[in-house]
Amino acid sequence: MLGPIEQLQPTLGRVQDLGLVHLVQPEESASLQLLGLTPEQARHVRGVRKVAEDVHTAISLLGGGAHSKGTTQDLTLPRAALIAGRTRRQLEALEARRQDLEEERALILKFRPFFSTFRKISESGLDLDGIRVFYLVLRNDSEQEVRRVRAALRQTLGDGFELLSQPSESGEAAMILAVPKENGAKAELLLSEAGVQSLSLPDQFEGQTVGTAVQRMQTRLAELPNDLAELDTERDRIARERGRDLVRIRAYVEDHLATVDAMEKAAVTPRAFVLEGWIPRAARPELEQRLYKTFGGVVEVEEVSSEEWSAETAPVVLKNPRLFQPFETITKMMPLPKYGTVDPTPFVAVFFPMFFGVTLGDIGYGLMLASLSLILRFRSAPHSKLRSISEIGLACALFTIIFGFLYGELFGDLGHRIGLHPIIFNREEAFFPFLGLAMALGVVHIVIGLLVGAATLFRKDKRHALGRGMAGLMVILIAFALMAAAGMLPDRFFTPLVIAALVALPVLVIAEGVLAPVELVSTLGNVLSYARIMAVGTASVMMAVVANRMTNAFGGVVVGVICALLFHLVNFALGIFSPTIHMLRLHYVEFFGKFFSPGGSQYQPFRHWSPRESATEERSA
Amino acid sequence: MENYAPYLSAALAIAIPALATGWAQSRIGPAAAAALAEKPELSVTVVLLIAIPETVAILGFVISVLILLEGGG
Repeated sequence: MLGPIEQLQPTLGRVQDLGLVHLVQPEESASLQLLGLTPEQARHVRGVRKVAEDVHTAISLLGGGAHSKGTTQDLTLPRAALIAGRTRRQLEALEARRQDLEEERALILKFRPFFSTFRKISESGLDLDGIRVFYLVLRNDSEQEVRRVRAALRQTLGDGFELLSQPSESGEAAMILAVPKENGAKAELLLSEAGVQSLSLPDQFEGQTVGTAVQRMQTRLAELPNDLAELDTERDRIARERGRDLVRIRAYVEDHLATVDAMEKAAVTPRAFVLEGWIPRAARPELEQRLYKTFGGVVEVEEVSSEEWSAETAPVVLKNPRLFQPFETITKMMPLPKYGTVDPTPFVAVFFPMFFGVTLGDIGYGLMLASLSLILRFRSAPHSKLRSISEIGLACALFTIIFGFLYGELFGDLGHRIGLHPIIFNREEAFFPFLGLAMALGVVHIVIGLLVGAATLFRKDKRHALGRGMAGLMVILIAFALMAAAGMLPDRFFTPLVIAALVALPVLVIAEGVLAPVELVSTLGNVLSYARIMAVGTASVMMAVVANRMTNAFGGVVVGVICALLFHLVNFALGIFSPTIHMLRLHYVEFFGKFFSPGGSQYQPFRHWSPRESATEERSA
Repeated sequence: MENYAPYLSAALAIAIPALATGWAQSRIGPAAAAALAEKPELSVTVVLLIAIPETVAILGFVISVLILLEGGG
């Protein structure tokens, strides 16, 4: 974008309203300088950053209290700074007070088991004037332990101490040790060497007699919930009165800071400005139209031809149909793919829940997972990470139920007992068919990965693309040859398949180099790795079978059923965790390794700030 | 005497890889925890690094089952 320098600020305003341009810094030259900030502007920005910090802290301290929307039209920076600073200080003071009260309660609660004991001791007439008092707790209240402590004290202090003990309600011994102040340090050392725990009175009760302190602590314990409730009321009042303002201030200062960042990316000549950035091709006419409407052709938009920019620098945005969007969470756990390469999300959306279902494959566990996912879905905010996880969970649950029907499993072999029959095979016995299914899925997954890799490479390096495709073909040929050798295909196919593989090998070596056969062996190793689908799945079904057998193994039916339910619960937890980790690994290591090119930079258009954007930034950070 | 060789072989086929996996993970675990303390964003890499040696145990399990079914079953 190119225009007269006095139109820079309004242009940025229009670009921000449109919210589609990802700005980048143009290269400096003799005639083109980066705009930068004057010392005065830099000072102003520091001020705005301070307000932003205040308002973010205040909103986080208010928790869910600040969520009203509002416009920023009548807001000025000094007023925003005043409100944000004052609210932050008030909320921090409330929070500090809350922490003090919580600490006081925690300390008193430590003493509570010994209240009656220490009171009884204090009523025994011990004169505490001018002496140092230790409040001690012995974990073991046996007479012998108390005698041991007493003997150790006598050895060090002679007769110059008084020790009163009383078993407490919690099974420990509460003791009060009184020593002359000059012997305090000696007694302290001795107690720490003997491993006797000493309780210190909260500060406000220091110097009081035990009886008074205990009484006062009981009173405070009753008062503390009210004090804490008062703090909540005060916080709610602040949220009511200023929550809306804070949300407006946050949007205002964040917009302001975004504009400053954009200004820093502008380059200028003595009379003109230049803004460089990326915009989705479809949105370019809209940008031109808006700028033309506002500036009447004074500000020009010009497209840099694709030969002049390198794809490495182009920002990336993942764009998928609604059904696949939750699975972007899995893709985004890796660095973003480079511009111009394939987004693996659609493949993940199909294969991840399918592999999960093949592994867990149980109607009962599938229904449990679906229930959990539905609860999570209703309790999570739209567009949040939890919402995506819940939707992935639902897809996994669906496949788990489908494969549960195919295996005839409902909480393990309970399905067989109530008349559910396996449609494809019974996983308790059919190890080989299950292994075959896992391997077949591996071949399909890896070949798809290789073909996608070939398609990605095709535009820039046709020879390597051919090599990648040939590797995919060889995996298929070897898999079919092995099937023919194992009798799963007619014998007559074996020789042609081997010959075809031998013909394909030199082509692979020519296309990919001498290391291609090593790479091919590694790819076949990747296929073997899919055996984990069978291994984890078999472990899961066997655990479920063991759980069901528990019903008859403990004499009583009730005990057996409880144990079985608990074991099923453990198996369900493992059944979610283990396949998830293994399926992630199969995707990230085996599948992505065939085509994925990480290193793309996130597309972050210059736009008005919104809470959703903040959540997205937190997710990607 | 009963033929114990398949059972012993099956046991060794899972036991040795499982021990090897355990040893590898015992080395990766502390290093991963230390890395996570400094860079929590490495969590995915760490999960993958911990899951990688499990392949050995899983393949051991598969071989063990094959021995039992072919030799001992």
